[in-house]
Amino acid sequence: MMRLPPFTYLAPKTIGEAVTLMAEHDGNAMLVAGGTDLYPNMKRRQFEPKVLVGLHGIRELRGVRGTPESGLTIGAGVILSAVARHPDIWRSYRGLATAAGLVSSPQLRNMGTIGGNVCLDTRCNYYNQSYSWRKAIGFCMKKDGDICLVAPSSSRCWAVSSSDTAPVLWSLGAQVKLASASGERTVPISTLYRDDGIEYLAKRPDEILTEIVLPPADGWRSEYLKLRRRGSFDFPVLGVAVAARMDGGRVREARIVLGAVASLPREAATAAQALVGERLTLDVIALSADLAAGPSKPLDNTDFTHPYRKKMTRVFVARALRRIAGLPV
Amino acid sequence: MTGAGTAIYWNNMPHSGVIIRADRSGGVAVLCGATDIGQGSDSILAYLPAEVLGIDPKDVRVHPADTDLTPVDLGSYSSRVTLMCGVAAIQAATRLKRVLFEAVAKKLEVEPSHLVARERKIGVPDDWDKAVSFADAVVLGEATHGVLAFAGSYAPPKRAGKYKGGGVGPSPCYSYSACVVELTVDEETGEVALDDVWVAHDVGRALNPLLVEGQVEGSIYMGIGEALMEEQVFRKGLHKCPSMLEYKSPTTLETPDIHTILVETDDPEGPFGAKEAGQGPLLPVIPAIANAIYHATGVRIDEVPITPDKIIRGLDLRRRGKPARVGPERIPVFAFKEPLVVESAFGQPADAIAVRPFGGPES
Repeated sequence: MMRLPPFTYLAPKTIGEAVTLMAEHDGNAMLVAGGTDLYPNMKRRQFEPKVLVGLHGIRELRGVRGTPESGLTIGAGVILSAVARHPDIWRSYRGLATAAGLVSSPQLRNMGTIGGNVCLDTRCNYYNQSYSWRKAIGFCMKKDGDICLVAPSSSRCWAVSSSDTAPVLWSLGAQVKLASASGERTVPISTLYRDDGIEYLAKRPDEILTEIVLPPADGWRSEYLKLRRRGSFDFPVLGVAVAARMDGGRVREARIVLGAVASLPREAATAAQALVGERLTLDVIALSADLAAGPSKPLDNTDFTHPYRKKMTRVFVARALRRIAGLPV
Repeated sequence: MTGAGTAIYWNNMPHSGVIIRADRSGGVAVLCGATDIGQGSDSILAYLPAEVLGIDPKDVRVHPADTDLTPVDLGSYSSRVTLMCGVAAIQAATRLKRVLFEAVAKKLEVEPSHLVARERKIGVPDDWDKAVSFADAVVLGEATHGVLAFAGSYAPPKRAGKYKGGGVGPSPCYSYSACVVELTVDEETGEVALDDVWVAHDVGRALNPLLVEGQVEGSIYMGIGEALMEEQVFRKGLHKCPSMLEYKSPTTLETPDIHTILVETDDPEGPFGAKEAGQGPLLPVIPAIANAIYHATGVRIDEVPITPDKIIRGLDLRRRGKPARVGPERIPVFAFKEPLVVESAFGQPADAIAVRPFGGPES
C-alpha cells in the first residue's frame, strides 16, 4: 500500500494569506485544492512537498460571476461538477461544460477544481508509477532521474498535458488571473503553458491561479471531444477543443486546440485559419481536419498507440466541426 | 507450474473438508476452510446442510476460513468451491442425519429408513403429528451417541493426467457455455460498444440462481476485459500497466445488458447436481466478441485485446482490397517438452480412479 508521507498543511482563509504563506516558504510549499491529482502523486513520491497550502477554505476562490454577454469569471476553486452543470456555461460555453463533465469520475469531479485541472501535472506512463516501479526501470528526468525514457536521446521531458479543460479554455480565448505576494497579473491562458513536460507552467511556483476569465460568448460555439479507453474515468489521450464564431452561416473566427498530444495544449492554427470566411461544408471540414492532424505529434507514453492517437485527431476534429455546423456526427 | 502443482496437490488427502456440529438448541455449526470472495460460498455452506437436515439456512451458523478452527479447503480458485466444499458439507450433514434418525427411530419405534427431515422436524410422513422437532432430535441423538460432530471430505475421483503437473486442476465434471454478442463498431474510430450479451451456461443445478447469475455476469465482465482491453505488455522486464488505472478493465459503463440463461443438467458428481459457474461462462465471450466484430466489419482480429487501433488497421486493409486480418501471421515456433510421465503414485497407477477412503457424498 502506498501511503502519504508526512507534511504540514496550512489552511489560509484569504488569497492574501495564501500568497504570503507561499512567499514565506519560498518554493518549498505546494498548493492543493481538491487534491485529486496532488495526493496520488505524493503517494507515489512524484511530489515531495514538506508544506501544503490548502486553498479549500478560501471563499474568494469560489463562485461564478458575470453573464455570457459580458463574460464569465470562474473562481479557480469551483469544482468541476459545478462547471459542468452551470446553466450559463452549458448554454454559452458548451465545450467547457462538456470537458469539465468528462474529467475522471463523478466523485473526483466533486472534489477536483477547475483551477487544479488547468494546472494539472503533465503525465507519462514512465512517470505516473509507484516509486518502486520507477526505481526498478530507472528514474526519468521528470523525477529523480536524468534521462527521458520515452525519447532517451532527447534533452527534454515529453510528459503529456492531460487536462481536459485547458484546451477548451484556450480555444475560448480565456484569461487567467495569477496572484502572488508581489501583486496580481492577468494573462491569456495560451501563455500559461510551456512546451516542456517538467516546467509545463509559465508561472512562478508561488503564484496562485485565482480566476479564469471567459470573454463574452458573442456568437461563439464550442465543442470538446475526448479520446480514451473507457468513458468512465480515464485521462484523455487526445482532446479536441474547437471554437468557432459564426456570422451568417460563415465562420468569422475559429480556434482549434488539441489536448494530450504534447506537453502543452497544442493549437492547430492553420486548420482553424482554413475555416475563416467559409461555410462549414463537409469539404471545408475535411480540409481543416486534415490540417489539424499536422500539429498532433503524440509519443508512446500514454494509453493507446501513438499512431492511432494521431490518426484520430483528424476524425475528432471533423466530428467536433460537424457538431458546430449542426451536421450529423 | 509443475513444481508448484506437485508440492501442493500430489497427495491423497481431501481437497475440501467440513465439520458439522449440532447443539442442544437445535442450531447447527458448519466449519470449513472455504473462503468467500464474494461468490457466496458461505451461504452455500448453510443451504446444503439445511437441505439435508430439513432445517432453514438461518438455523446454520457458518464458520469459514479460520485455519485455527476449520478443516482445509484448498481455496477460491479454479471454480471448485461450491462443488468441493458442497459435497463435503453434504457428507458431513448426512452423517449427522443418520445418527439423528437412529435416535428418533428408537423414540418413535419405527425404522430409520421411514423417517424424513423437513420443516425443522424429523418424523414419518404418514404420521407427521408425532414428528420430533429438530432440537429434540439433537437432544435424543446426543444422549445416545455423545457429542454430535461429524466430518465430511471431498477429493476429485480422477487425476487429470499421469504426467508431472497433472495434479493441477483435476476436473470432476465439465460445464458448457454458449454466448451471443451484439455490438456496434464505430468505423471511423474502431471503438467497440457492446449492446447485449446472452450467455447460456450449464450449471448442473443452480443452488441459488441469484448467486449463479452473479457469477455468470462476473465472467462476462472478465471476458469483455480479456477480449477488448487487458494486455500484458512489458518494458525492460516490468509491466507497462502496473496499476488499476492503467491496466484497463471494463467498468459498469462498458458492460452491456447481460442476459443469463441457466441450463440445469444435474451432474452426478456435484452437490445436488451443481457444477461450476465461476469461470466457464467467460470462455465463449471472447470468441463471440471477435466473431461479432468480424460480422460487423469484415475484419478478423486474430489476437486479444481487440483494440480500436487494430480494427482501424483491418478496415484500412479491407479498403485497399487486402485480406482484412490483423494479428500474428503464424503460430510461433515452439517445441513443447515431452511430458514427464508418472507411472504410479501412492501405490496406485497414476491415472487410476482414486480410491477415496473418506467416501462419496452418501457414505
